Amino acid sequence: MAAETFSLGQSVELNAISRELKKLWQEGEGAMTRASLINLAIYSEKPDSLEKNTQLIARITEDHACRALVIGANPKSKENRVEAWINAHCHVGRAGGKQVCSEQISFLLEGPCIKFLPSIVFSHLDSDLPLYLWWQDDFPKEMDPQLWTWVDRLIFDSRDWKDFDAQMRLVETAEQEARQRIVLCDLNWTRLDKVRYAIAQFFDHPASHHHFAKMENITVNFASGFKSTAILLIGWLAAQLKWKTNQQQMNGSCRFLDANGRKIDIELREKAGDPIAEVVLNSRDIKFRVAPAKCGDLLEVSRSGENEAALPQMMPAQSNDPVDLMTQELLRGGPHRVYLHAIESVRGLLSRGDSPNRH
Amino acid sequence: MNRSADQTEANPLREGLSARAVPQPCSVVIFGATGDLTHRKLLPALYNLAADGELPPAVTVIGFARRPKNDDGFRTEMEEAVKKFSRQAVRDEIWNTFSQSIFYHQSDFADESGFKTLAERLDKVDKERGTRGNRLFYFAVGPEEFEPILKHLKAAGLNKAREGSWARVIMEKPFGRDLASACELNRLVEKSFSEEQTYRIDHFLGKETAQNILVLRFANAIFAPLWNRRYMDHIQITAAETLGVESRGGYYETAGALRDMVQNHLLQLLCLVAMEAPTDLSADSIRDEKVKVVRSLRHFTVDHVAANVVRAQYAEGAINGQPVPAYRKEEKVDPKSMTDTFVALRLHIDNWRFWSVPVYMRVGKRLPKSATEISIHFKKAPMVLFNRETNEANVLVIRIQPDEGISLRIQAKMPGASFRIEPVKMDFHYGTSFGKASPEAYERLLLDAMSGDATLFARRDEVEEAWAFIDTIENAWSAKKNAPDLYFYPAGSWGPDEADELLARDGRAWRRL
Repeated sequence: MAAETFSLGQSVELNAISRELKKLWQEGEGAMTRASLINLAIYSEKPDSLEKNTQLIARITEDHACRALVIGANPKSKENRVEAWINAHCHVGRAGGKQVCSEQISFLLEGPCIKFLPSIVFSHLDSDLPLYLWWQDDFPKEMDPQLWTWVDRLIFDSRDWKDFDAQMRLVETAEQEARQRIVLCDLNWTRLDKVRYAIAQFFDHPASHHHFAKMENITVNFASGFKSTAILLIGWLAAQLKWKTNQQQMNGSCRFLDANGRKIDIELREKAGDPIAEVVLNSRDIKFRVAPAKCGDLLEVSRSGENEAALPQMMPAQSNDPVDLMTQELLRGGPHRVYLHAIESVRGLLSRGDSPNRH
Repeated sequence: MNRSADQTEANPLREGLSARAVPQPCSVVIFGATGDLTHRKLLPALYNLAADGELPPAVTVIGFARRPKNDDGFRTEMEEAVKKFSRQAVRDEIWNTFSQSIFYHQSDFADESGFKTLAERLDKVDKERGTRGNRLFYFAVGPEEFEPILKHLKAAGLNKAREGSWARVIMEKPFGRDLASACELNRLVEKSFSEEQTYRIDHFLGKETAQNILVLRFANAIFAPLWNRRYMDHIQITAAETLGVESRGGYYETAGALRDMVQNHLLQLLCLVAMEAPTDLSADSIRDEKVKVVRSLRHFTVDHVAANVVRAQYAEGAINGQPVPAYRKEEKVDPKSMTDTFVALRLHIDNWRFWSVPVYMRVGKRLPKSATEISIHFKKAPMVLFNRETNEANVLVIRIQPDEGISLRIQAKMPGASFRIEPVKMDFHYGTSFGKASPEAYERLLLDAMSGDATLFARRDEVEEAWAFIDTIENAWSAKKNAPDLYFYPAGSWGPDEADELLARDGRAWRRL
């Protein structure tokens, strides 16, 4: 169902937001139902981010009712400027009938007043609902610790980071400063969801577990700009299968050792196409392959061996569209312990100039 | 809900990916593959699971039926069915690979050789498709076919799995028509499959809202203290449908509303509402608690049936402004039929928690609207202060279908200078809060059976205890002397007046739906 509007909506005074929102709902009473499961705050310093994020929110709210707080910031400006708008994104619900609406409050913050970000966010939260903060820029060195105490889930895309190590340290510091546990949600990790699912299903039957001990080499083809995604995938395999780095990355290849000291060679190759264009895991006698199907939104998965013909099957693929990534992330919930383990396994690879923007 | 017992060795790559037991690659053999259930529910459910990536790629479907047909013919037929009944649009890319996992096996259920060739075919599938000797036999046939199928499955050695593999059987309702036939059927099944291998399906339990009853009760601390005789006045369970018997007149004549709906679906819902907290979420812990509820139901003597149960049949009337015929004029129905198309009951749960909290149930065909819901009516506040003139009780409603959700009725002050009190509703709708559509009940249940999770399937003792209770009513109805009356209600009404009187005698009324 298409969203109805992408405009920022009605301009409002900062101290009149609640009142104006109330009026908005009174006008639509009867035909509209307000729904909200989370507070979703989006922070960006890109010049046209308010409009772009409004478009994203319009689509995200089709599946995830929320109160959206969209913040466009320009900390470099010398002059203080604060503007606010209110808006509603309405969709006809699955059962038809009334429109289900999510509200959006947008803020433009320029100049030194950016330091009031936590107070602006806090004063407009829908009470009792968790706060998801989607940070679309690099994290600055100085962050108000007050903000972190309210965040339940911190969403970011590590693929965009220029310095993985420094950024991860800032995130970890923020997490330590928070009085509650923040769940770190990396959209670069979400990007791997369906590929991980497709790989994992090969090994669901205990009779296939012996292949873990026979794994010889893995090849991952990735699109330009997605090297960190490919490294994260390797990090996941290494963490879950208890492999340790043996040889650092050289010319797109590296080596891990399993618990018995056996070598597993990894080859990462840039290739035009999907973010993860192909994954091939070769055990001694079986080849496990996951690759995007020609239609684009499905994965073709197959296993083949000397005495085993390949039986390709289709599974859902993860789109790289930010709305689809966010929808998937919001759907998943729960802690992301496996992600933290994956990061630990390949921290060196991610930090040593292997970040996507330096491939 | 629980992890399968046969998943002794967890897949480390699944950590964090699946919050549920993972289905195993297997062959799904559907007996009655050309029937309505396969077309409307089973194949669409399997397709949807494949499209959502929930089905292990190796899963293979073998349709077993009498009609002559080859694999391609069966695939074409199934494609049409899936296109018609699937909850999501059929995509060629997915169908093309999924359809290659569908095969047809032609045989009469009474023909032993057909089962031997089935065994050979399954072995071949295991080798070619990696189904690893796991077999799920789905009985989408009438109970009269169970015996030959079970006998021949055993003769062909298909009831036992190789080491490290499993064989399971899913049986559709009706599971018997009284206690004696249910016990007989269970004995029959037991000769070929153990209780752990047997999955008796009740699709009501596969519905999201039915599962949510346990979450509502045991994941929210505020309800637990109120869930007892001290705070509850009574419970109502309604399953209403506008449909008549349609083309099922022949079957319905042998069943009636009490057997068709109350014995299974409604008692299962009651169990979820009234059970104690299980010790864990394993299938048997939950089913242990459910069966205690059925055992605690106060059985009626013949004399008490008339006072506590109202049976009725729809007469001519109108649904949505369209005239509809009386039940007795429906196809394949005896013009003098005494079959119940409506039942209203007053039940008592004789346990510590619910003693003196009556449960009123009603189920009927050709009622004004289709809706299934449970309502918990709490005791009224003292008639002092605000409640001198009107005194409405708090009501918690769990809507099972349609418009799944939960609402709570509370009293609120009307705006103004005076203290005028009116009831208002706090309302949660699944469809409003969650954009993602719930899977069909059959999708969930098929996946559970493939994963070895029997939580949402009825256990033998649950089924037998339920029949033991229902039998007391059926026996009274079929008595030659002094059998309680069969009442009539116009199609499109909420049942006979006697159903209203059942509650009015206690100073209560049915909730308006």
